[in-house]
Amino acid sequence: MPNMRGDAMRGLAVFISDIRNCKSREAELRRINKELTNIRQRFRADKTLDGYQKKKYVCKLLFIFLLGHDIDFGYMEAVNLLSSNKYTEKQIGYLFISVIMNSSSDMKQLIIQNIRNDIQSRNPIFINLALQCVANIGDREMATAFTNDIPRLLVSGDTIDPVKQSAALCLLKLHRTSPESLQLNTEWTARIIHLLNDQHLGVATAAVSLIDALVKRSPDEYKGCVNLAVSRLSRIVTSSYTDFQDYTYYFVPAPWLCVKLLRLLENYPPPEDPSIRSRLNECLDTILNKAQEPLKSKKVQHSNARNAVLFEAINLIIHMDCESSLLVRACNQLGQFLQNRETNLRYLALESMCLLAASEFSHEAVKKHQETVINALKSERDVSVRQRAVDLLYAMCDRSNAEDIVQEMLTYLETADYTIREEMVLKIAILSEKYAVDYKWYLDIMLKLIRIAGDFVSEEVWYRVIQVVVNRADVQSYAAKIAFEALQAPACHENMIKVAGYILGEYGNLIALDPRSTPMIQFELLHTKYHLCSPTTRSLILSTYMKFINLFPEIKLHIQEILRHDSNYRSSDVEIQQRATEYLRLSEICSPTVLATVLEIMPPYPEKQSPLLVRLKQKKPLMEADTSGELSTAPISQSDDGPKLTDTAMHLHQQQQQNGLLVSLDTTESNGHYETSASSSLPSSFSSSSTALQTNKKFLFKNSDIIFENDILQIGIKGEPKKSVLHVEFYYGNKTNFNLTNLSASISLADELDPELRIHMEPVQTTIDPRAQIKQMGTIECLKDYRDLPKMSLSFFYSNVPQKIDFLLPVYLNKFIEKAEMDSNNYFLRWRNLDKPDQECQKIFAAKFPMSHDACGQKLEGFGWSNLHNIDVNADNFCGAGIFHTSAQQVGCLYRLEPNKQAKMYRLTIRASKAGVASHLAELLEDQF
Amino acid sequence: MIGGVFIYNHKGEVLISRVYRDDIGRNAVDAFRVNVIHARQQSRFPVVNIARTSFFYTKRSNIWLCAVAKQNINAAMVFEFLNKMIDVMQSYFGKISEENVKNNFVLIYELLDEILDFGYPQNSDTGVLKSFITQQGVRPVTREEQTNVTSAVTGQIGWRREGIKYRRNELFLDVIESVNLLMSQQGQVLSTHVAGRVVMKSYLSGMPECKFGINDKITVENRTKNTTDSTNATTNPNNGATNPATTTKTAIAIDDCQFHQCVKLSKFESEHSISFIPPDGEFELMRYRTTKDISLPFRVIPLVREIGRTKMEVKVVVKSNFKPTLIGQKIEIRIPIPPNTCDVQLLCMKGKAKHKASDNAIVWKMKRMGGMKESQLSAEIELTPNDKKKWNRPPISMNFEVPFAPSGFKVRYLKVFEHKLNYSDSETIKWVRYIGKSGLYETRS
Repeated sequence: MPNMRGDAMRGLAVFISDIRNCKSREAELRRINKELTNIRQRFRADKTLDGYQKKKYVCKLLFIFLLGHDIDFGYMEAVNLLSSNKYTEKQIGYLFISVIMNSSSDMKQLIIQNIRNDIQSRNPIFINLALQCVANIGDREMATAFTNDIPRLLVSGDTIDPVKQSAALCLLKLHRTSPESLQLNTEWTARIIHLLNDQHLGVATAAVSLIDALVKRSPDEYKGCVNLAVSRLSRIVTSSYTDFQDYTYYFVPAPWLCVKLLRLLENYPPPEDPSIRSRLNECLDTILNKAQEPLKSKKVQHSNARNAVLFEAINLIIHMDCESSLLVRACNQLGQFLQNRETNLRYLALESMCLLAASEFSHEAVKKHQETVINALKSERDVSVRQRAVDLLYAMCDRSNAEDIVQEMLTYLETADYTIREEMVLKIAILSEKYAVDYKWYLDIMLKLIRIAGDFVSEEVWYRVIQVVVNRADVQSYAAKIAFEALQAPACHENMIKVAGYILGEYGNLIALDPRSTPMIQFELLHTKYHLCSPTTRSLILSTYMKFINLFPEIKLHIQEILRHDSNYRSSDVEIQQRATEYLRLSEICSPTVLATVLEIMPPYPEKQSPLLVRLKQKKPLMEADTSGELSTAPISQSDDGPKLTDTAMHLHQQQQQNGLLVSLDTTESNGHYETSASSSLPSSFSSSSTALQTNKKFLFKNSDIIFENDILQIGIKGEPKKSVLHVEFYYGNKTNFNLTNLSASISLADELDPELRIHMEPVQTTIDPRAQIKQMGTIECLKDYRDLPKMSLSFFYSNVPQKIDFLLPVYLNKFIEKAEMDSNNYFLRWRNLDKPDQECQKIFAAKFPMSHDACGQKLEGFGWSNLHNIDVNADNFCGAGIFHTSAQQVGCLYRLEPNKQAKMYRLTIRASKAGVASHLAELLEDQF
Repeated sequence: MIGGVFIYNHKGEVLISRVYRDDIGRNAVDAFRVNVIHARQQSRFPVVNIARTSFFYTKRSNIWLCAVAKQNINAAMVFEFLNKMIDVMQSYFGKISEENVKNNFVLIYELLDEILDFGYPQNSDTGVLKSFITQQGVRPVTREEQTNVTSAVTGQIGWRREGIKYRRNELFLDVIESVNLLMSQQGQVLSTHVAGRVVMKSYLSGMPECKFGINDKITVENRTKNTTDSTNATTNPNNGATNPATTTKTAIAIDDCQFHQCVKLSKFESEHSISFIPPDGEFELMRYRTTKDISLPFRVIPLVREIGRTKMEVKVVVKSNFKPTLIGQKIEIRIPIPPNTCDVQLLCMKGKAKHKASDNAIVWKMKRMGGMKESQLSAEIELTPNDKKKWNRPPISMNFEVPFAPSGFKVRYLKVFEHKLNYSDSETIKWVRYIGKSGLYETRS
């Protein structure tokens, strides 16, 4: 900061010390209030503040802001400072703006203009200040405003190195915060890549970071960087540390640049060009060689820097995964680290080795270190390192060493840290199943596992055990035997009881001949554990008992007694109570043959991906992605593999248990299922593009209705008659999970030349969101009476397939009828007046619905006209009147409906003052009673 | 039962720490500092519960006083104790400040030992305490004095020792009232009450018994009933008719009151008369509160006009509303102004007005103002434009002192009877003074 002492701001120092000396919060607030008023006065009164004063007050404001108070003025002065020519003033202005940037957009434009001026200036210090400010604010507007200026600075020949460095970093920041608004001109690609070759190492380091970010966005565009990166890398690696004076860090030449270059190369597959490839291999080789050299310094920084480069190189080797010699060398190098005194190094070595173990070239090499890793597991102090050791053991396990590793892991499990136990249990379970040659061994391991770490055995693990047993007939009797033995232990874990209970229920008969495990002994042994278990286990054991009834009819009475016992039959737990009741009834009423079919042995489970792997992945989504790569290629679609009882009668009981299970497994299947059902419904309903649906007559009597519905769309209508004008609202509801786009609706009249209706619809929104509804309003005006209904046609895109729907709009004539009230005399007077033959229409028709007086009355009123009482002498008859409005004229309508209950017939007589109207109305009503 | 008492300075450093019970650990001191004094959000509750320990605190100038209790304790009692402790300390060494506390820490520990025993508050009467906790260093105590102290602490009249003698028997009575008011812009009284205290300073010989009469509605009515009864019975029936008219004017309704422990409550309950044997020196005889028929000494009429976004005009008129012969003193009116003020021009007819930027207020001071007078201040305020927040116009507050009791409280008599010594009521010299002060006296603008 040049010449700060010369214009140190005394007022600011005094203010700050005042605030520091304040004895209480109130005193501080008072001092700040006073200062704020003072600053306000200054900023307002004397327009002729010089730069120094402006800077001072802006500084004070900034300080007040940093103390946690609101600042709502002074922005203008800060922006003014930006255009100052003094470094300190400009600096304070930029500082203020980067800290308090929340003002309105017009202010922002001004700021951007100022920044642009600075960026385009010739003074590198000003340019750097401006770049810093842009990077600090780094929002979308900045990104769009400087999308050209900053890259130009970066690639232009005459900018000096520090500016280039800042420009690269600034661009990186903008790219990180708003990648979409930062559009880099493709012309610059080559020139940006060429920055890797820049003589100045600082520029190159800054540029690598930027290029790395850009490569992640568009790898193809920046493909050229591989070449340059390799050559740059080789130049650094091969040179002596004395060559880069400023960029040598404790005898390691440019470690940061190296690491970044190596990372950059990890974005691409190994280079195709053999020369480049060999050059890269040379580099990596050199790095590995250098690691063997004795340390040049005892300082920790030296070894840190060297190891950083080395580990990154090993990462790259693993990433390329093609040079077996390099992989093996890397593996050996890591093996050395395994015995290093540094815990961090050991951790990193184990972690990298995990990745190496997955590679086919180095798998064998990794296996050499099995002993060391197992030692690490036993002797390591740090739990995170031990965890990595477990990971590595898991990754390096194969058929040859599985037994050893599983054994070691089991031994370690007893003393393992609680945080990693569950994961270890899963891993042991997976390994022992995957590499089991003999399933008896598998079962031994699993039962031991449950015994050692029962609390950490998740549901999936013991489900899997049962699945394996059910699916392999050869181990079932052995399973029953060892399960029985395991149960004999005085203290059993609940999971053990579950497994044993289930297995004995299925295969208890296989060991029943042994006098040491007769049915009664089996049953009694299981029952000693019964009362110590949780309700879910108890209900499982109840099912086992039920299976015993089938397997060993001789102990049926004992079991029935237990089922009848109050603690089960009247248990407070609904599940137990229900099972007890139902099993008891089942055992009482069913014949042995029925029981045998109901309680048959479980059929084998379909082989799918082990739920254990799913579970493991859930626990550690990232860590395991590589190590279990070969396994995860199996489709993820996954269903519940938990043990099931065969019988459908017991399905209900199981469901609760299963539901709990399904949730913990993945839900892709259910989602997928939904999608297919949604799409399969498409073709059926739209194979014929226009399906004229039958018009719905419900709208005849009501003012709202669903007028169209299929799997995609539902259209509702709501009308509000007002004399000759009907206000309508259409509701379009999207029933799918996708957008419906380009929606358009039109209504066409039967007779376009001589319109009976004047229809005006308001424009409708063209897109309907999934599961959303939109509304369209409009008016329909009746010009004269009509017969044919208008036709509505609707077109839209559903998942880019055009759809068209045509249907008749049920806007019947009666919507324009208004109620008319009159007395008896009046009615008959009018009735008699309308006696011309075309004014009257009479229909006689059979009743379609039960002849209820009230229902008829309601329908007639719903139709629009009145239902007048006490006019006809016969109370069963209906009379009424209405006025049919058109815009030109009004037509009076009278009707009389005479039901004949004996004959179940109606006679409807309508008289209307205009010819044709009566007959039309009669047609509408004909089949509605 | 108070577990401990701590005193902190404004920075949260512990000045005094006295723990009375085992259930309070040393870490309680830090807990309070961290959670209250150094809390990021200023605590607004007088009682804070940290880790099942209750902290009761008050702040005097820059000193925090905090009582700690683990048990469920009567919070009102704790605060009464804390206030009493402050009174005691003030009477020993004056203002409570960090300096004074540090200089007198031995004394304070001595006092704390005396006024709290195993967390139970003991005698905290300054007069009694001063008889055995002195600041003059150790002096030999005579046997007589010792017995005096013992009898004073344990005797029936714990607040007064025997054998006091004065050449002039004198007593001073101060009626000090503080008026609280909230008035709307239009001059409508939204809420008002008076909190009054009667403070007595007695320099009387022997064991005098005093009787104190006030113009409380109940006592006055009782009395007039009695007198009218008797007058009716005797000669002048007209007298009886005029009497109630005069009493309704003068009697006031007291909402609630409380007395010093020397007042015989049984007599007050049965006869509505206040009789007592006063302690020697200064004490607060009674406290009371009234809400009705309060004569407000001042009326503030504000007029605020916002002219555009950058200017505001404020006009404030103050009217005094009491007898022209009386004079109000120490009048200070505080007019809040918006926080985005940048300049203020002031013009007032009387007194001095100042813009206090640190408080965002205009402070207008007048040394004195006679009754039935009126004064005016006008201010032009320039603002920097600010669209974000609307200023919520806090009320204008006022401070003053007037030489009468705004509630209408009157001392009717104070009689002194001393049977053993031969001075009579008429020989004692009595002084009565009324002071009306402002409490929270606010007018919305």
